[in-house]
Amino acid sequence: MSRVTRRIALGIGAAVTLALPLVLDSGQLSIYILLGLTAIVTVGLSMLMGYAGQVSLGQAAFYGIGAYTAGLLALHGWPPLIGLVAAPLAAALAALVLGVPLLRLRGHHLAFATLAMQLILLSIADNQAWMGGSIGLQGIPQLSLGSLEFDTDMSYAYVTWIALAGVVLTARNVIQSRPGRALRALATSEVAAESAGIPVGRYKLTVFALSAGFAGLAGGIYAFYLGYVSPGSFPILLSVGYVVMVVVGGLGTIWGALAGTAAVTLLVQLLNQLGTRDGVPGWLPSVLSYAVYAVLLIAVVLYLPRGIVPALVSLRRRADS
Amino acid sequence: MSDFLSYVLNGLAVGCGFALLASGLVTIHRVTGVVNFAQAMFAVVAGLTAGSALGAGLPHGAAELAGVAIAVIAGLLTGLAAVGRRGTTPQSALIVTLGVGILAYAVEIAIWGDQPRSFAGLPGSLEVGGVAIQWQYLLVIGVAAAVFAALALFFARTDRGKALTACASDPYGARLVGIDVLRMSLIAFALGGGLGGIAGVLVTPLQPISFDSDVALIVNGFAAAIMGGLNRPGPALAGGLLLGVAEALVAGYGNAAHQTEIALVLMLAIMIWRAVRTPVVQEETV
Repeated sequence: MSRVTRRIALGIGAAVTLALPLVLDSGQLSIYILLGLTAIVTVGLSMLMGYAGQVSLGQAAFYGIGAYTAGLLALHGWPPLIGLVAAPLAAALAALVLGVPLLRLRGHHLAFATLAMQLILLSIADNQAWMGGSIGLQGIPQLSLGSLEFDTDMSYAYVTWIALAGVVLTARNVIQSRPGRALRALATSEVAAESAGIPVGRYKLTVFALSAGFAGLAGGIYAFYLGYVSPGSFPILLSVGYVVMVVVGGLGTIWGALAGTAAVTLLVQLLNQLGTRDGVPGWLPSVLSYAVYAVLLIAVVLYLPRGIVPALVSLRRRADS
Repeated sequence: MSDFLSYVLNGLAVGCGFALLASGLVTIHRVTGVVNFAQAMFAVVAGLTAGSALGAGLPHGAAELAGVAIAVIAGLLTGLAAVGRRGTTPQSALIVTLGVGILAYAVEIAIWGDQPRSFAGLPGSLEVGGVAIQWQYLLVIGVAAAVFAALALFFARTDRGKALTACASDPYGARLVGIDVLRMSLIAFALGGGLGGIAGVLVTPLQPISFDSDVALIVNGFAAAIMGGLNRPGPALAGGLLLGVAEALVAGYGNAAHQTEIALVLMLAIMIWRAVRTPVVQEETV
């Protein structure tokens, strides 16, 4: 694709996604919002997995940290905007602190370590009275900006859109900058990158914190949108789901993360609607969504190891030449 | 004092379960280089199958064997998905086993529902010095001891065991001397499935399991296996026992809610300690 067609495609994509909330009904609007929030997380995870070469099975923990930060601040009378700003900062800070020991690990060790991190945080949230224990935080007020109240699904759809756009822009700029090239180098070989003078440890930690910050931002919006967070809102399967979406779309590409998230979320929603019809056993929706996650993940890893979007791009290139 | 003794015994039994799971992880990892995320799924499948078999009127023993047999088949299928396709790297294989674990959720919920299930183990208990020890605990400990002894003999004394180890240390060299690496990998997965299955049928009477029990089980199994660097069964056994006893003591004297955190923090500490001591260069020679 040339630069111009890419710009046009981008413009059309933005216009369509901006117009969509106007025509969606309330059920579809909530899917739109959750899809957008998920995409914010997966763009960050895609950078972490694709560029820093690190697998995180605990990304939902940072989503949760953001949600709890925003929720707790709002419940203690702070202006919602402060909560929304603090959510990504708290998640990124947590990632910086936890990342110092955790990022000494790599490969399957890091995968298990991030999983363990999420389990520990969930267990802490479950047992702390000030975090609401297993019941969680209830009655989180609506997001507001001065006298402007965000009390409709539509307004949250646009908040989500703006947040996602900001995240995509940030990620794109980071990838195209000098640190972005350094990150690609360290994903291939840490030793080679290190000997070329790249501060490997610092860069990995920065991407880890950045991806956590994205997740925290999404979590903050989620807390205001639903008005309720509990440890049960952030299960391990949520983290696994993020990994599935990133792998399906293609590691290390922003568009891959967006496409993977949209494809998996919409497919699961579609099957959910089929599964909740009358006369269908109650266990069917969960069975179907697990099966979708699993089959997509296995098929893509085995047959399209670089993900759907990069595979389509190279197919196009081959057709063009 | 008798409290202490019963906590320790309880912990040893649970720890033997962790160690059996860990032994499956170790068997698969030392042969194929793959960390099998679906390892605890074998235990869940075996436990649930044994429960259903007992419900259908099969006697104890036969029901447990049926559970382990299903776990062996699950192991073989997992192996086919993870290493059956040539050129799958261990990293990709880890993600594939994660996928197999989720796929198993779908199958398990469709067959057994999403509620925890259990079945009665050996009834009665043994009285030793004023402490009552359930026979089931002793059974778990005894079976685990026998399995670990058999594993050690298998890897050290039999041709098949040595061939498996050869694949682990140098797949290319193993192929040169005529060892079918893919076949050995599948054998390792089947063996790993069986070991996970044994853990499952032994532990289910102690704590009810449901489809998503595998997360807690795999984390504990991995924590035990990591003590031996995922390659040696001996330290994995020690690690499992240590974890089991530590968790039982924390649950007994402190707060049961904190028992998994102990395992997790211990696992993180050991992994980071090992990582700090091993230079990066060693790990990249692939």
